[in-house]
Amino acid sequence: MKKHFTLTLLLVLGLLQGCNVAVLDPMSETAKEQTFLINFSFSLMMIVLIIVFLLMARFVWKYRETDKNKHVIPKDVKGNRKLEIAWTILPVLLLVVLAIPTIAITYDQSASSPAATEKQAGEIHIDVKAQQFFWTFTYENGKESSKELVLPKGKPIIFHLKSKDVIHSFWIPSLGGKTDVLPGKELVYEIDNPKIGTYDGKCAEFCGVNHTKMRFKTKVVSVEAYHKWLKK
Amino acid sequence: MTIPFFGESIFVPSDVIAAWILSILLGAILFIYVMKKRKWPIIWEYMRTTNHRKIGTMYILFGVIFFIRAGTDALLIRLQLAQPHAEFWVFQQDKYNELFTTHGTMMIFFVAMPLLIGLMNAAVPLQIGARDLAFPFLNAVSFWLFLGGAVLFNMSFFFNSAPNAGWTGYAPLSTDTFTPDVGNDYYIFSLQLSGLGTIFTAINMIVTIIRHRAPGMKLTRMPLFPWATLITSFLILIAFSVLSMGLYLLMFDRMFGTGFFSDDTGSPVYWQHLFWIFGHPEVYILALPAFGIFSDVIAAFSKKRIFGYPAMVLSIALIGFLGFMVWAHHMFTVGLGPMANTFFAVTTMLIAVPTGIKVFNWLFTMRGGVVKITTPMLFALGFIPTFVMGGVTGVMLSVAAANFQYHDTHFVVAHFHYTIIGSTILGIFAGLYFWYPKITGKVLDEKLGKWHFWLFIIGFHLTFLPMHITGLQGMPRRVYTYEWGDELFALNLTSTIGAFLMGSSMLFVVWNLYKTHKYGEKAGNDPWDGRTLEWTVPSPSPEHSFEPMPIVKEMDPFWYAKIAGEKLRTTNNARPAPISTKTIVPLCIAVSLSIMSIGMIYTWYLLAVLGGASAFLLFIVRSLTDERKEYYRKEEHSNE
Repeated sequence: MKKHFTLTLLLVLGLLQGCNVAVLDPMSETAKEQTFLINFSFSLMMIVLIIVFLLMARFVWKYRETDKNKHVIPKDVKGNRKLEIAWTILPVLLLVVLAIPTIAITYDQSASSPAATEKQAGEIHIDVKAQQFFWTFTYENGKESSKELVLPKGKPIIFHLKSKDVIHSFWIPSLGGKTDVLPGKELVYEIDNPKIGTYDGKCAEFCGVNHTKMRFKTKVVSVEAYHKWLKK
Repeated sequence: MTIPFFGESIFVPSDVIAAWILSILLGAILFIYVMKKRKWPIIWEYMRTTNHRKIGTMYILFGVIFFIRAGTDALLIRLQLAQPHAEFWVFQQDKYNELFTTHGTMMIFFVAMPLLIGLMNAAVPLQIGARDLAFPFLNAVSFWLFLGGAVLFNMSFFFNSAPNAGWTGYAPLSTDTFTPDVGNDYYIFSLQLSGLGTIFTAINMIVTIIRHRAPGMKLTRMPLFPWATLITSFLILIAFSVLSMGLYLLMFDRMFGTGFFSDDTGSPVYWQHLFWIFGHPEVYILALPAFGIFSDVIAAFSKKRIFGYPAMVLSIALIGFLGFMVWAHHMFTVGLGPMANTFFAVTTMLIAVPTGIKVFNWLFTMRGGVVKITTPMLFALGFIPTFVMGGVTGVMLSVAAANFQYHDTHFVVAHFHYTIIGSTILGIFAGLYFWYPKITGKVLDEKLGKWHFWLFIIGFHLTFLPMHITGLQGMPRRVYTYEWGDELFALNLTSTIGAFLMGSSMLFVVWNLYKTHKYGEKAGNDPWDGRTLEWTVPSPSPEHSFEPMPIVKEMDPFWYAKIAGEKLRTTNNARPAPISTKTIVPLCIAVSLSIMSIGMIYTWYLLAVLGGASAFLLFIVRSLTDERKEYYRKEEHSNE
């Protein structure tokens, strides 16, 4: 089993180097916080994983049946209060450590309904309308685009999401997590401080025949270029 | 292909035609085999049986058949995803959507559930010293309802109208506005039918475990598989009722123009709530019995009693309880707001604690024991690291803000396959190898069993480990292809290779079954040097077991009696056994309700009324028969 684990780890590391993992390479403040949570929870959980793997490897190896102990009847152990309390309390502590940043960031980032948010200066508001099987982005001056979403660098971007038909989910992996796009209810999601670049966007909630094709490009450009593009 | 049909020509895809041809061929071969070997009496016998072992055997048989079907779906999915822009056979767009919908629905409802219930049927009564389930007739009804539902679900594919809204059937996609075809009506009625059977089984198991334990078998002495079954049955009772309600409302939305899940008079999010209030406990309905099986297997092959028995029971109960408080962690992205997201994140994390307790208790059961690595034990040993990997990604997923990234990607696909295959499927295999002698009277071949294990587990990790990464790379669930530029090719190809390795491991199961039944020797009562009561009865377990009835004085009574070199004390003064009968009525009830369902699906209301009336008549017939009458009369005679 130990061999099994080392192999697994090697496989993961080997594979990770070969490809570019969008979620682990955040391109906005929002995504950065999420990536922090991913890495943080992953490291905490690796501790658990390693402890279990080591214990298991040791017990299976040490107590395996051999010709010597074949006919031995092992001593019965009903339990061990101290050990059992230890593996109840320690995981709770570990989870408390994980829960604190989880709660903080979740409170900050959860999508909300529009009533809860006030418009502030400097924010860019974009209406996102989803329907089978394309997106329509409407900018503050009324300009519309479909295949590509253009955003200015470094600003807080507020998306107002609404669906015309079924449930879709709006997702730009490099810039942040997804938010469902519901019919009949507007959701508001913020992506803060995106960096310049071109990123893939897609629908993440299964929405019908051409769900796969419901993709778009996101271009984050400088503020000047953004305004110029808006006027075009 | 276009086929003329009553003057009209209808288009039939080639996969459906292939399935028809294959089924007709297999059916013909089976028919010839049955004719030649004169097996009709056996089939007739099983159609009318109410015996727990025989019903368990049928559950397992059909569970395995549907496993092969749903597994084939999985392989087709993997072929379509093997490389970017693949155009494999017909499986793009709607065909692909049907594929993953069928795969998911079948694996959960018609594979995992019947296999677990089959093992419960075969093993639980024997483990607690019951002579049968409390309600043998009801047990037969449960089974035939399950089979009716499963056959109905499979029919949809043969008529080229498989459900296509995902196994989660999210509204409004699953309503008639967006999927007007009958596919999702099939989904509703087949789950309704088999769900009813599952609820009956839960009632049956609860009463059996509460009322029919051997004298002295206190709840605190009961093995862990019956314990898990008991708690699971309570979960089923609540969760499947909720599913039933949800499906009922969806049926009204689809067929009678109501708007429970529409965005103006209702809300599509209501469906998600109902579905996950069922769906999350369902995950534990699948996992807890497997935990029970592993507990008994690990104790038996470590030659030690389970470590921390009270904690094991409590943590099963706690997992079951918490399982009802976490459903919205499937809905972090639907905008329930920060308060709900945090609450459900924290409750989800809490479940890790009792689960962790169980893992450590399993490990410490082995410590100081003599660990014999048999095939069932091998599956238990494979389960621990696999399931813990699924568990830790579960904790990672509970981190709500990070979940915005994982949600609906292949990361989630990897996670739930690690937990469901890691616990349920490995548990089922462990249980099947372990109790096979009690079910059939023969021990499966160990060498082929080990081949099965290693191919399966290596193939499994090869398939699903890469999906964690493809998910983080941005590959959503339920897409039928991806771009060259997404850099997903190598990992997806690895997954496909792994899937075929897993698939090939099943060939060893087939070979093993053939070899065991052709050359295997008859097993004795106790082939594994077991600990619990099922190993005191002959293999396969007879229809009248426990005569005389053993008296239980401690946990693992058979083991301690063996060590002391004694025989278990017995008594003739036990609770009267449930009375088994031979009756065709359960089968007829299920057939009637299936006919009613077909009538509803195609809105042939006359047929629906006929099916319903026939079911109702059978209820009356059943209410007026009492198979115990004869026994009462005998007792009266002997008292005189």
